[in-house]
Amino acid sequence: MKTIQTEVPEQLYKKTLALVKEGWFRDEKDVFSEAIRRFLDTHRPELMEKFIRDDVEWGLHGHD
Amino acid sequence: MTKSALKIVCDSGPIIHLDELNCLHLLEDFQEVLIPDAVQKEIKRYRPLSLSKLNVPFVFSPGNISDNARLITLCRVFSLDVGEIEALSLMEKNPQALLLTDDASARMVAEQMGFKVHGTIGILVRSIRRGQTEAKEVLGVLKEIPSKTTLHIKRSLLDEIVIKIKKEFDL
Repeated sequence: MKTIQTEVPEQLYKKTLALVKEGWFRDEKDVFSEAIRRFLDTHRPELMEKFIRDDVEWGLHGHD
Repeated sequence: MTKSALKIVCDSGPIIHLDELNCLHLLEDFQEVLIPDAVQKEIKRYRPLSLSKLNVPFVFSPGNISDNARLITLCRVFSLDVGEIEALSLMEKNPQALLLTDDASARMVAEQMGFKVHGTIGILVRSIRRGQTEAKEVLGVLKEIPSKTTLHIKRSLLDEIVIKIKKEFDL
């Protein structure tokens, strides 16, 4: 495990604590790990590359 | 300039990025550039003058959220922010429009919903096809992306795009 230090907006932190308090997560570290995992899952490099390539193709050969 | 028949619905990213590159005028040839409320607020926070200084046919829309359960579920699953949700909701009312976003998650949701979607790079490259900009100029703009904008693209991919455009236009 890697320890990192960062800043998050107050509101985001309050929502994180509320999730922990309600019992949905063990602690705030779990919330942040899960949030990052999900973000990385939807921002896979090959997917972002595909989007950019689609843009270039449309830009060059689109029909609008 | 002949106007395109296409309307676009904007997320904040492309407006901000095009403004950072002094290229917002490339949106002038669309029929309408629809901006939902939350997107407008976000743009005003980062680029306060961008929505007022050009002849872009901006149309500001109230920030309504769709009641389509599938769309809202997808938005939640992909953790989209309120601006992206409002933009996708607006797309639902304008299904023939094109969504402009640089956010990968918003783009995935748009594709799942069957919406047409592109981003800043698409608009820049399209400007050559539409006769708005010379290919050489666009190459210059593309090279400025890492230093002038908050749009982050892998360097090797950007180089690849430059090579593709050079080849396409014999430069």
